[in-house]
Amino acid sequence: MKAVTDELSKTFAALADPTRRAILERLRTGETTLGQLAEPFDMSLQAVALHLKVLERSGLVTRGRVAQTRPARLEAGQLGNAARWLLQYREFWEGSFERLDGYLEDLQKEEGGT
Amino acid sequence: MTGPRLEITVPHDEPVIMFRRAFNAPACLVFDAWTDPVHLRHWRGPRGFELVGCEVDLRVGGSYRFTHRAPDGTQHVFYGRYREIERPSRLVSTFAYEGAPDTEALDEVTFDEDGGITLVTGRSIFPTFQAREVFTAGGAAERGLAESHDRLDDLLATLQS
Repeated sequence: MKAVTDELSKTFAALADPTRRAILERLRTGETTLGQLAEPFDMSLQAVALHLKVLERSGLVTRGRVAQTRPARLEAGQLGNAARWLLQYREFWEGSFERLDGYLEDLQKEEGGT
Repeated sequence: MTGPRLEITVPHDEPVIMFRRAFNAPACLVFDAWTDPVHLRHWRGPRGFELVGCEVDLRVGGSYRFTHRAPDGTQHVFYGRYREIERPSRLVSTFAYEGAPDTEALDEVTFDEDGGITLVTGRSIFPTFQAREVFTAGGAAERGLAESHDRLDDLLATLQS
């Protein structure tokens, strides 16, 4: 469990940056080279490479090797752990709150009716 | 998805989880629903879970204990102590999952009413980042969940706020 949670901490730290989230969004469409990734950003190739490095260390991204390039790829597994964690929290409260909505409505009808 | 949206925020720089959710009822009623066992049994717990035990001693220093029964029959217990009680605007308590006492969090819930709508804001402060992450793993066993890509939007939206 500890190993998993340490990974999660790194994942959330990596996801905290808007540039890195944008990079992940881009990678959802498939493997992408550093040059292609850097295109939409108003920053140097080096700066984008650094963000990619953080994503790599967090386990969210891996880099392959094709000829002279190292295309980056989204690693769904690590993202899945973070997403699952969040979903469990969401499910706990969403299930509760939907019932609470209905219950509050019933209570107010009762009050109004008497 | 129906009803008002549940907003969840997971800050990266402090071991905290926050949620915001509006309810179509006055604050007094929402506060009572949050704290009175008569009401709690009607709503508290994930979908498919039944609140089979609900002990509440609503005073500062008093304790509470909720036992949820999962669809598979397993029981999950959450417990804590009330620290601050200001009906109908604020409730502070400790919060722990039985079996993972190291994850005890401090829960602050505020109830802000505006024109009959009550905005509930919850803030759980965990002792460590690890505790924050272990916490939800205890509440629900692994279920067959949608492919992670489908959940990315939710994850990214949460982290943006």
